[in-house]
Amino acid sequence: MNLNDNKKYNFWFKNSWSYITGAILLSLFQIITLIVTKEPWGITSGFAYSGAWIFESLGGDVSSWEYFSKESAKKALNLGFLNHPYSLRNLGLIFGALFSTLLASQFKFRKVKSIKQVILASIGGLLMGYGARLALGCNIGAFFSSIASLSLSGWIFGLFMFLGSIVGGKILIRWLI
Amino acid sequence: MKGKKNQVVYAIVVIILAILFAVYLFTISPLLSFFWFSGLFVGFILQKSRFCFVAALRDPYLIGGVDLTKAVLIALAITTIGFTIIKYWLVINNEPLIGLNYITPISLATVIGGFLFGIGMVLAGGCSSGTLMRVGEGFQLQLIVLIFFIIGSTLGAHDFGWWKKILMSYNKTIFLPDFFGWLGALALQLSIIALLYVFINKWGDKNTGKY
Repeated sequence: MNLNDNKKYNFWFKNSWSYITGAILLSLFQIITLIVTKEPWGITSGFAYSGAWIFESLGGDVSSWEYFSKESAKKALNLGFLNHPYSLRNLGLIFGALFSTLLASQFKFRKVKSIKQVILASIGGLLMGYGARLALGCNIGAFFSSIASLSLSGWIFGLFMFLGSIVGGKILIRWLI
Repeated sequence: MKGKKNQVVYAIVVIILAILFAVYLFTISPLLSFFWFSGLFVGFILQKSRFCFVAALRDPYLIGGVDLTKAVLIALAITTIGFTIIKYWLVINNEPLIGLNYITPISLATVIGGFLFGIGMVLAGGCSSGTLMRVGEGFQLQLIVLIFFIIGSTLGAHDFGWWKKILMSYNKTIFLPDFFGWLGALALQLSIIALLYVFINKWGDKNTGKY
C-alpha cells in the first residue's frame, strides 16, 4: 500500500496542523500543567540540572554553587535524572516529537551540512543556555509562562529577546553572505 | 519523496516503550509520570503544528512573515485567561496561590539574559522547545545545539552567584494584579496583546509579496 495515497492516513497522521490549532493546544497544555503541577511550563532549569549531573559524573562538584544552594535544589540533585520532573518532561518532549514524526513516516537522520552550521549551533546554544540562567528562564519559562502569569518580567524578557533576535539576524546575514 | 517508507510500526514501538516507562515512573510517583506524559504531549503538538518561537520573533522583521507571531499572541492570550481564572478562583476561595515561581524579579539580568537568549536562538535556529523537538525529528545539528545549550546552562549556573551580586541586587518583582487588580490586569494585558495583534497583522499585510 502506498501510504501517500491513503487519504485517511494523510488526514490523521501526515498532515500538519495549523499554527492556530497549535496555539490552542499549547494553551490547553499550559493550563493543565498549572493545575496538576502547581507551576506553569518551564524547560531550561532542567538543562542546568542535566549539566550538573554530567559535570559531577566527570568528577566535578557543584555543591558550592549558589545556584544549587537551596535545600530543594540539593535534594533534587541527589535524587537524580529519573526523579527530576523537568528533565523527564524535556526528555518526553523529544520522544513526543519523535513519535509524531514516525507516525507521519517522515523521520530521517538529518546530517550536519557544513562546519559553519556547527559553529553557529554551538555559539547559539551557549548563548541561549547562559542567557536563560541569567534571566531565570527561556522563551517558555521567562516569556510564555511569565507573561501568562501576569508578571511584567515576561514582557521585559520578551522585548529584549526580540531585540536580541534582530541582532542575531544581522550577524547571521553578515556571516552567511 | 522523503519518508515514503511506512514508519508507523516504529511509532507504535516508541509509544509502547513510552507507556512502559510511564508505568515505571508511576510506581515512583504519579506526578513524575504526568511530567513524562505531558512532555510527550507537548512534543507531539509542537511537531504537528510546526510551532516555532524563533520564527515568531524573527520573521516579521527578517522576512515579513507574521503567521507564527499571531499564533504566539493567541497562545499568550488564551493561557493568560486560563491562568487568571484558576488563580482568581483560588483567591476567592481563600486557597493558596499557585504558579508563583514564574512571577520573577526584573533586574538588569533579565535584560541581558533576554538579549543573549535572543541572539542565540536566531544563530542556532531554534529556541529551547524547538531544539528539543528537532532532536526528536532526527536533526544532528540541533543535537549539537542541545549539547551546547546544556553546557551554557551549566556555565550560567556556575556563575549565577556572581551575577546575582552584580546584576540582581537591584530588582523588582511586578505582579500586575497587585497594581491593577485581577480584572484590571487581565484587561490591560489582553488589550496589549490585541494591540500587538492588530499591529503585526498590518505589518504582515504591508510586507506581503515584498520579499
